[in-house]
Amino acid sequence: MRSLKTAALLAAAAMTLAACGSGDGGTAEGDGKVKLRFSYWGSDARQKLTEQAIAAFEKKNPTIDVVGEFSDWPSYYESLATKVAANDAPDVMTLEIRGLAEYAGRGALADLTGKVNVADLDQQVLSTGSFGGKQYAIPTGVNVMGVIVNKAVLDKAGEELPDDKTWTWDDYIKLSEKITKAGDGSTFGTEYTFNQVYLSMFAAQRGEKFYNNGKIGVTPETIKAWWANFDQLIKTKGSPDAAKMAEIAAAGVEQSLIGTNKGALGMWWSNQLGTLSKVSGSELTMLRLPKAEGASTHGMFLQPAMHWTASSKTEHPAEAQKFIDYLVNDPEAAGILLSDRGLPINSKVLATVKDKLPPADQQVLAFVDSIKSELATAEVPPKGGSKMEDIVRRYSEAVTSGQQSADDAATELLNAANAAIAG
Amino acid sequence: MVDSLSLKSEVAAPAPAPAPKRGRGRPRPTVRSRREAWTAHLFLAPWFLGLFLITVGPIVASLYLSFTDYSLLDEAKWVGLDNYVKMFTEDPRFWASLKVTTIYVVVSVPLQLGFALALALLLDRGLRGLSFYRSIYYLPSLLGGSVAIAILWRKIFGADGLVNAVLALFGIQGTSYVNNPDTALGTLILLHVWTFGAPMVIFLAGLRQIPSSYYEAASIDGAGAVQQFRSVTLPLLTPIIFFNLVLEVIKSFQSFTQSFIVSNGTGGPSDSTLFYTLYLYSKGFKEYEMGYASAMAWVLVIIIAGLTGVNFLASKYWVFYGDSK
Repeated sequence: MRSLKTAALLAAAAMTLAACGSGDGGTAEGDGKVKLRFSYWGSDARQKLTEQAIAAFEKKNPTIDVVGEFSDWPSYYESLATKVAANDAPDVMTLEIRGLAEYAGRGALADLTGKVNVADLDQQVLSTGSFGGKQYAIPTGVNVMGVIVNKAVLDKAGEELPDDKTWTWDDYIKLSEKITKAGDGSTFGTEYTFNQVYLSMFAAQRGEKFYNNGKIGVTPETIKAWWANFDQLIKTKGSPDAAKMAEIAAAGVEQSLIGTNKGALGMWWSNQLGTLSKVSGSELTMLRLPKAEGASTHGMFLQPAMHWTASSKTEHPAEAQKFIDYLVNDPEAAGILLSDRGLPINSKVLATVKDKLPPADQQVLAFVDSIKSELATAEVPPKGGSKMEDIVRRYSEAVTSGQQSADDAATELLNAANAAIAG
Repeated sequence: MVDSLSLKSEVAAPAPAPAPKRGRGRPRPTVRSRREAWTAHLFLAPWFLGLFLITVGPIVASLYLSFTDYSLLDEAKWVGLDNYVKMFTEDPRFWASLKVTTIYVVVSVPLQLGFALALALLLDRGLRGLSFYRSIYYLPSLLGGSVAIAILWRKIFGADGLVNAVLALFGIQGTSYVNNPDTALGTLILLHVWTFGAPMVIFLAGLRQIPSSYYEAASIDGAGAVQQFRSVTLPLLTPIIFFNLVLEVIKSFQSFTQSFIVSNGTGGPSDSTLFYTLYLYSKGFKEYEMGYASAMAWVLVIIIAGLTGVNFLASKYWVFYGDSK
């Protein structure tokens, strides 16, 4: 049976290699260089930046040849998991916080504790790369999720920028309704998202943790209150209906309401401010999330954009560590990559690149600095946490489109979510 | 293609085939024939190698994996029948996906075959430019499973799509059909029906096989067009209908691309287009449960084999083979 499995995996590996066009063979090259494979996902623009950073690293380290294994986002985890299964894991892998426990919890990652210099990194953010007390991952940078406002649309509707220190969910819904009413029918006050992070911030305002001692800590009441906001937005036409909203969400950042100047408000990650500013050509601002009545916190937190990790099976751990070290600590790397993978968390590096950042990212930096004291740190989701986004989205769709009652859906959501992290 | 071949076979009188010698066993292999056999095997070897490494190997491996807890990221652990038990007793999404797929098959296959047959009958009436129409109608069958068409479907049935643009002319405001749980599956069924070309071509070939003397005899006996269709065309076409039915049921149970693209890989909205294979795929590659996904694949094999078996058993009662009665 073992040999059969090996044969099957070999076949799978062969196909993956053929598909990725990265099948160059062994890891040691004829010219004595160490070949280091590095996997990441993203846009064409990111690929160009990353290749530049790789070239700069190779120049400093002539004995190391870094081979970037680039893929688009939708197929990234599929191909990465297949490579790991085939014992062909890239030496350095890009992951997200929700994939950390999946990979580290199954022994696929190397412990980087003490192997990469982390002295200048934001220690709070650094903790989001540790699992079971070991530093398996180094965050690439940080993002924060908040409300992005398209001021052009807001002005056109004759509305003022709300005071984000005090605004409540009711204020937010009412403002959305007014903006839609002021428009000609094609503009909306807000576009919503079923992002699980949004739900966890909403829950944090009510004093509930999304993950709490191996269980889901969110109560059904909180989930229902969250859904009630969407229902209210749809009912008052503050936002498009469920089907239309699903279509907009699927079309991506460029086609979003804010991006096309058809919407004033929306929940977004801070690193999307740049793209949104570019495609809309309008002035955008970032605000704190609205609060629950009487809540002491906005529930917002610093989220590591991505994680650098090394494979536990790598034959070149020293070189892998060196490369990761370069990416997070070398001003040269940061000067190339800037804030493409979130705002740098190395304070020294950040100081050197601050002025080079595009205006949108300087704006984000100023926003993050201004609310830093209020921000919590992201939690590392347990094993099975990568299923959460799908689960939350699925039931939210069912409720907003009227397929299921909120009571049933909340119960089923919690059952599914608890089962996902139990296994 | 198909019917031009069948036409030929109709025209050419059945050539008296050399009667094979039966019963006496095969002649002893000579040195030469043995060498030829070796050569043949050698030529077949690359293909067999591919078959065993890429097809049979993984199939057998997946049977083993279906009894394990296998995340892709670490070693597979033997769990016996756990995956199967879990599937049937505590996974509502398994049943949901089975339900969606069953509705899809039960609705779209008869519609598609009915449509194919109707058009085949129409084209069979000696239309001018038959081969042109045949090619045009066959085209969707070639394209229907493609990513491009699935994306096109998203556009046509989107909120600002073609369908709503037409409806707007009549003052009706439509929704986004692919993103509405009530209509999303319907758009996929429509997509499947649209690919009626392949069965249509086979029906056309079948219609050509029916000797015109039957129709002459029927019309002399006073049978009208409807009667002729019911008593001559349909019974003589049953083997072809059966063939198409078996093929399409198997094919549509395995549909994947349409739902994957139209729903962005989620099977949404709210699982309304969660095809069985899509769920299997997301279990294996997105939720790190390859053992479970393997078990699902084997259940699918059993379901399809069972359905095909039922189809064959039932065929005794309605399929008419001209030469057997």
